[in-house]
Amino acid sequence: MDLHTLAAGLAMGLGGIGPGIGLGIGFSKAMEAIGRNPEASGTIFVPYILGLALTEAIGIYALVVSLIILFAT
Amino acid sequence: MVHVDIAAEKLFAIGPLVITNSMVGALLASVLLFLAARWFARRSELVPGRAQSLVELPIEFLAGVVRGTGGKRWRQFAPFIFAIFLYVLTANWLSLLPGVGTIGFGEEVDGKQIIVPFIRAGAADLNFTLGLALISFVAFIAFGLRANGLRGYLKELLIAEPPYMTPLLTPIHLISELSRVISLSMRLFGNVFAGEVLLATMLALTTATIFTLPLAFAVPGIFIGLELLFGLVQALVFALLSMTYITLAIAEHRQHGSGESHSGETPEQGAAPAHGTA
Repeated sequence: MDLHTLAAGLAMGLGGIGPGIGLGIGFSKAMEAIGRNPEASGTIFVPYILGLALTEAIGIYALVVSLIILFAT
Repeated sequence: MVHVDIAAEKLFAIGPLVITNSMVGALLASVLLFLAARWFARRSELVPGRAQSLVELPIEFLAGVVRGTGGKRWRQFAPFIFAIFLYVLTANWLSLLPGVGTIGFGEEVDGKQIIVPFIRAGAADLNFTLGLALISFVAFIAFGLRANGLRGYLKELLIAEPPYMTPLLTPIHLISELSRVISLSMRLFGNVFAGEVLLATMLALTTATIFTLPLAFAVPGIFIGLELLFGLVQALVFALLSMTYITLAIAEHRQHGSGESHSGETPEQGAAPAHGTA
């Protein structure tokens, strides 16, 4: 247990905040849109998945950084 | 506790070529796809049977999506998108089979006994995902070149919209173009690798004490279900992002080529109502 472990944990934990909020906002908006217009769910799905992936990428960067801290230094 | 190795483990070497267990997983996926393609190409009928419609289901779904968002020239790049989707999907789901990542030979590293599995998820190795991302990169540049010609493409790439902004915007544009490769590869790798670590951690947590042992029969199963979903979503995301990049590369031409027709929207929005039920 040295500082590397702490750094990796902090990187992942702090890096998870932003994408978490972003994914929540995106998901809630998508659900709102489907609730207002259920027939458009097929049209909403693809942009929703794309936005989800782009938002989630930030969290994945944090994960990669923390993995690099843990295993590659 | 859990042994995690970020690089794929070396199995054996043929001369300078090192075969890692991730390569075995990726190769297995492509062999499986190839055999399935041969099988269904020979036996396919106009009125599909039960197995055939099961295989046609993802293709039809994806074809609907590509037709809806890919603009007019969707037939040109649809096979490429299908190939990426099916390959990543097969590689991801193959890694959830029992025995993949768990059966291997023992090895002693730093005084600890670890298992080096024979087969590891293909996408749990950055080489696999980086290779796919580079293929996608080359593809969308090639489609852009074909649609715009060399001059049009370079003009689009190097000269910003108000020409006096070029010194500021062109580096940003170049970096964003290159960062697509990194984000595509890192996303798939991070997701699949994190999934593998998650499964191993859940198993290790539930088998840590005798009291939590009954949980070990249920909890990892839930997470395997989650990984099934994530494998599908990540394959879809990789394919759809490649498609979006290709569409953007082609669409840049249309805004420039057809004068100031001022269809500022990307074709995604213009053609979106075309696919209703997909």
